[in-house]
Amino acid sequence: MGIGVIAWLRAHWPDIVVPVLVFLGVFLISLWIRRITYNTLERWLKERKTNVGRIIVSATRGPFLHWLLILGAYIALRISVLPAQDKVLGGRILASMFIAYFGWVLARLSRELLVASFPDRTKTPGRVVTVTTNVVQVTIAVVGVLIILELWGAPVAPILIVLVAAIVVAILVFRDVFPSLVSGFQLTQQKQIRTGDLIRLESGEEGRVEEITWRNTQIKTLDGNLIIVPNTRLMQATITNFGKQPKAATEPFQFSTRLHLRELTGLSATNVSQLLSNLKEIPDAVVYYHTHSFIEEFQFLTPEPTNDFASWIQDALHYDALAERLAYIDTFEFSTIAALRQRIVAVIQDFVAEAPVEREAPPDNEFHFIKSISVVLPTPYIAHDLQEFISILRKVSIGSLYFHIFEARLRLQRRTNDFSVWFEDCLGETELAEQITRLDPYNYTMDNLREIIIQACEKRL
Amino acid sequence: MSPNTNVRDYEPVVGRSYIEELRMLAARLSGKTVLTINSTFAGGGVAEILSHLVPLFNELGVDVRWQTISGDASFFKVTKKFHNALHGKGEPISDAEFALFRETTKKNLDQIDFSGDILFIHDPQPVALIEKRKDIGREWIWRCHIDVSHPDAQVWRFLQEFVNKYDAAVFSSPNFAQQLPIRQFFAPPSIDPLSDKNKELPPQMVDIVLAKYGLDRDKPLILQVSRFDRLKDPIGVIKAFELVRRNFTCQLVLAGGTASDDPESEEVLQEVKERAGANSDIHILDIPPGSDIDINALQTAATIVMQKSLREGFALTISEALWKGKPVVASAVGGIPLQVKNRLTGLLSHSIEGTAYALRQILANPEYGNWLGRNGKEHVRQHFLIVRELRDYLLMFLALHRSEDVIYL
Repeated sequence: MGIGVIAWLRAHWPDIVVPVLVFLGVFLISLWIRRITYNTLERWLKERKTNVGRIIVSATRGPFLHWLLILGAYIALRISVLPAQDKVLGGRILASMFIAYFGWVLARLSRELLVASFPDRTKTPGRVVTVTTNVVQVTIAVVGVLIILELWGAPVAPILIVLVAAIVVAILVFRDVFPSLVSGFQLTQQKQIRTGDLIRLESGEEGRVEEITWRNTQIKTLDGNLIIVPNTRLMQATITNFGKQPKAATEPFQFSTRLHLRELTGLSATNVSQLLSNLKEIPDAVVYYHTHSFIEEFQFLTPEPTNDFASWIQDALHYDALAERLAYIDTFEFSTIAALRQRIVAVIQDFVAEAPVEREAPPDNEFHFIKSISVVLPTPYIAHDLQEFISILRKVSIGSLYFHIFEARLRLQRRTNDFSVWFEDCLGETELAEQITRLDPYNYTMDNLREIIIQACEKRL
Repeated sequence: MSPNTNVRDYEPVVGRSYIEELRMLAARLSGKTVLTINSTFAGGGVAEILSHLVPLFNELGVDVRWQTISGDASFFKVTKKFHNALHGKGEPISDAEFALFRETTKKNLDQIDFSGDILFIHDPQPVALIEKRKDIGREWIWRCHIDVSHPDAQVWRFLQEFVNKYDAAVFSSPNFAQQLPIRQFFAPPSIDPLSDKNKELPPQMVDIVLAKYGLDRDKPLILQVSRFDRLKDPIGVIKAFELVRRNFTCQLVLAGGTASDDPESEEVLQEVKERAGANSDIHILDIPPGSDIDINALQTAATIVMQKSLREGFALTISEALWKGKPVVASAVGGIPLQVKNRLTGLLSHSIEGTAYALRQILANPEYGNWLGRNGKEHVRQHFLIVRELRDYLLMFLALHRSEDVIYL
């Protein structure tokens, strides 16, 4: 038997050697072409600094070698002396291997390209990438399988019809999903919105983008709620994007608000002596009311009327000079109600000592002492940085502004306010803190005061 | 207020943060029930404000129920006498009348279901329901809507016996405060900007209403809206108008109605008609309760709105007029100076001549009138809209048993 094989090899060695040499030749030539091509390509990519080209080169360099081996094998097979039937069979096997391998590489490449095409690879919408990649990979696989089936002579037409029908049904069922998917893709592709951005919607809602999914975008509002906006709507809407989070505070700022209830003391005065006598005895909360309530009550008028004592002395008693002296007292100078009361009492006492005749207020024009009861409650608004602080300050109530600016001075018993303390202690914004501390809030309407603080903060961004 | 109105609808009027704060307060009252009791479901300012407030409380999640006391005509005649006496208009009240008041209260004590954590009682008619407290306890607040700055001593002594047993009393103006052993809060009443009476009307609607009452659209219109009550001084209004009419072409409209607890109003209406006589520029309109669109149209068409009351609880008609940007001329009585800051949000007067002078100032200087009206509207937005009253009551319910000057919730 051994002699028979040797004899057969002697007679047919060219039938074996020639295909093997052709296989090796094709392989070596292809290796050379691959080397020149990839080296040229890499030099070109280096100049262009394109990420896409690098991904393509990196993903195909290894498989390219295997494709060349398959090509060499195929050419060797074609020139071999094998029976035509075997050649066809071998050719189909090699072609199928090539298509399957090529498809696998293409699917992997498409995934990498899609991930790379999103602006922020670490934070961009995982679900958008996943869904898009899956769709592309399934498409490639289906096309590959169909080509292979066609190659082996299987009936492809019925499969194609079923596939097309399935796609049509899927489109009908998920007809709302596709626009969202496309919108989600566009949103991130065009870099309009990114995770972590602070945005304001047309509705006035503001918040940070938490996640962009394949159907919607999730926004965490400044009051801690989660808003889910369909991507299609987001694409059509006008959005203000304030961008990424600036320097984060070491501690967040919790906005509170202050509402007030007015309690009647039952005490009244019809002349200056009675006013003075009551002023010395009444609780601080009563002095506070009559030196601060006008700020809130007439905050829409510029200039605002003066404090209640001065107003009454002018309107009901017509002691103009005393009214002016009381109006001149600068509430901003005092960080305690006790000190403010002392000054008011001193001014009135000086006047009483000099006043020749005591005047009485007309009937129904008595001064009624009212006590302010402050009710303080935390709002859902919390600022983690200066940008969020500005956005929240635009929307909180006048009561909140009042609490953090006016009441803070008396609460902290020093010449500052809650905002300045936070700017300095938690953001390191010493200059901004000083600027706000220096503001005399009693000289502005509440809305003006709000705008001045916002402008000062915006300059620091 | 339309049946579908909800708290969110007030956002465009007062701002979103205001409404957010209401919700925050309401959330802290979750689980509490408030029972509010007054004398009537319809007619008069109290019934009107409650008909708007109660649904809003409930929409915010605070369980507020509304009941009224029952009584026959003789009972309401006595309470009307109380009302006048509290306004300082002394009328002798017999022991039999006081006895009738107690007797009717006793019947109501047996009939009313007092289930609720907070009992919120309005005005003198149901004040004696506090007698139930010794049986059921709970928290009780008496809300006084009327001017008690100069009360008749006999009636006030009688009522104070009951008022002193409450946890707190609420008054519409600081000068209504009394020397009481209980806490007294200050909460002016309010108007509803979304109600038929205060919403913005299309000009065609205003024209239709003016035509309906035979009023001249092109002639300056001076208006007083109030019940036909001597304390509203309708005769004084006519006298002031007659002084102004000498120099200015204008028309006067006295528009009012009657309430089920006010048996005197028919009599006053006849007196006013007789005083107006054949003057074709004076229009006396007896408008039934519920004609809110008509009242709104008249206020919208008015050049000046008057409130020449001799005594007044609060006079919501002033806030209604200011909300429509109208210059107001009013007497400096009761709660009126709270709404009309003289020469800033309107003009105050103390006499018929003073009223006529103020009317002339505005008729001769329409721009001045517009400026007063604009300021007045802003003043009402800040202080006299229903959401502010709602907030005051929420705060009151929360602060009733807290004695601190600063309460942290």
